[in-house]
Amino acid sequence: MNGGNLYQPHLVRIDEIVDETVDTRTLKLTFKDPMLAASFDFKAGQFGEYSVFGSGECTFCIASAPTRKGYLECSFKKVGRVTAAMRELNVGDTMGFRGPYGNSFPLEKMYGKSLVFVAGGIGLAPVRCVIQNALDLRDRFKDVTIICGARSVGDLVYKRELDEWAARKDVKLWQTVDPGGETGGWRGEIGFVPAIVEKARPGAIDAFAVVCGPPIMIKFALPVLNGLGFKDDAIYTTLENRMKCGIGKCGRCNIGPVYVCKDGPVFTAAEIKGLPPEF
Amino acid sequence: MTREMHISEPDLRVLAEDLVRGGTRLIGPARPPGKDGAVVYREVKGLDEIVLVGDPPARSLKEFFLPPTEVLFTYRQKQGDVELAPAPHVFPPQVVLGARPCDAAAVSVVDKVMDWDYHDELWFGRRQATTIVSVACSGGDASCFCTAVGLAPDVAKGSDVLLVPVEGGFHAEILTEKGEVFVAAHATRFAAGGRSEAAMAYRAAARGKAEANLRTDPAKIRAFLESSFEHPIWEGIALRCHGCGACAFVCPTCHCFDIVDEAESVATGARRRNWDTCQTAKFTLHGSGHNPRKGQDCRIRQRLMHKFAIYPGRFQEILCTGCGRCVRICPGGMDLLEMLDRIGREPAAPGEAGRGAP
Repeated sequence: MNGGNLYQPHLVRIDEIVDETVDTRTLKLTFKDPMLAASFDFKAGQFGEYSVFGSGECTFCIASAPTRKGYLECSFKKVGRVTAAMRELNVGDTMGFRGPYGNSFPLEKMYGKSLVFVAGGIGLAPVRCVIQNALDLRDRFKDVTIICGARSVGDLVYKRELDEWAARKDVKLWQTVDPGGETGGWRGEIGFVPAIVEKARPGAIDAFAVVCGPPIMIKFALPVLNGLGFKDDAIYTTLENRMKCGIGKCGRCNIGPVYVCKDGPVFTAAEIKGLPPEF
Repeated sequence: MTREMHISEPDLRVLAEDLVRGGTRLIGPARPPGKDGAVVYREVKGLDEIVLVGDPPARSLKEFFLPPTEVLFTYRQKQGDVELAPAPHVFPPQVVLGARPCDAAAVSVVDKVMDWDYHDELWFGRRQATTIVSVACSGGDASCFCTAVGLAPDVAKGSDVLLVPVEGGFHAEILTEKGEVFVAAHATRFAAGGRSEAAMAYRAAARGKAEANLRTDPAKIRAFLESSFEHPIWEGIALRCHGCGACAFVCPTCHCFDIVDEAESVATGARRRNWDTCQTAKFTLHGSGHNPRKGQDCRIRQRLMHKFAIYPGRFQEILCTGCGRCVRICPGGMDLLEMLDRIGREPAAPGEAGRGAP
């Protein structure tokens, strides 16, 4: 392992900064070690520990896709000490990265099936990783439906990709904002994400759903998907608990018997319904 | 592979002197130098400082393998670039002489999580450098309950050599390869020994004493915990808890930690690993302000579940040695013996089965 200890990160350079919204930013990172940059691999859904030296480490999913080699991306909102420090960094600056950690979305299992992505707010980050991955292997899947929303038009993340997905004929994209969040020129839907899922009515036969977003969105989206015929073991989501080590040692991310960092972060709705309500 | 020998007290004294003279760090349960304070494990210069038999020391052996704070690496920033240097971790040989068997067992219980897929080199570096010579306990005090969690005052688990006090010295059981190497290095101090009636009598008496404190069934406790996530018992138990985390810090098996950066200047500093505890609200607080464990009842439940259900389910080990430290230190008078006794008598809630089960 790097430097002879599990907790010492690899060095990455910030190659690009994109402001997704007023408070959410995406960093494109490249490993400084060219050997590692060439060999680094991960699976959709895995996460990492990102660090700003002097401020500490933070846990985020890898928001880019494993099919897009040579870099990784993370999207974050400024909420605490590390994310505030991350916002101060510029292109060319150095950060730390440990990972990839955790399990992943079982993409191989989804080959030949239809995919339905449901995301709210920054929950689009882990979903975007799977979307990019699936679109890079588009011929292996049947229908691809993306339903994503945010509080307001200004809060929609990955706008450049939303435009790209909207333009594709092999993707059905539904964008929505909460009532009152629309602007004059808004052409998408107005309504909460679960309501738009109901309106979009994606088919459940031979299909998997990937759902990420605020807990309240997930709570109301699951029964809608169930109502459309999606079984709990065909619905995947990710859990995010506070973590420090990311490797099952620091004891922080337990939900009942589950270590989110080792057993997750990807779980089926069936697995989540079997957990104590501590997330 | 256990081999039985004998060592007299004068020989043990010379052995300790030999160790110190040879540059080995000698650790034993001892009072602070020149003072009357509580017995703790600390570096000593000879056998006379060591309290070989007595109640469990105030703190466990944990700090010699997972220090309360340790540098993971240091960083130096210059013009957007960063250089990292691993902490210069060297693990010189050390011998714990007079470990309480429960504390030796604790270290081997924590080995499981430290080796879970990712091998924690800092923990195992110290483990490999350390020989643990335990002395069978005389049965502890009223807060001890090792026998209730499947251990015993003379348990061999985690020890390399186990000494049992007998008239004029110790019956010695050599338990591991490391123990064999240790005994071979001090061969002239040990004498041949076999079955010792006196040692057996001492051990039986000690077990009886510990057993009298708490009799319960870990399997029943686990079944209750796995079926009783929602249960009125938690709120009642939590009322006395201040959330200070003292129980976790003195616990020989609590191993939760935090990782933080400590700047020394604008450009330099260190990333550290510090002890942490699930008993504080901040432990699980999300950046958004959401906290999955809102109240102290949730945190107490987590502590008990981790020790008596989650860890056993994952690693086939109870994350508790019955050392009683949490009972002795709690400012709120929380008593794990009382809790376990009560939980052991509660019927598992059938309606909720599976909720906490792996």
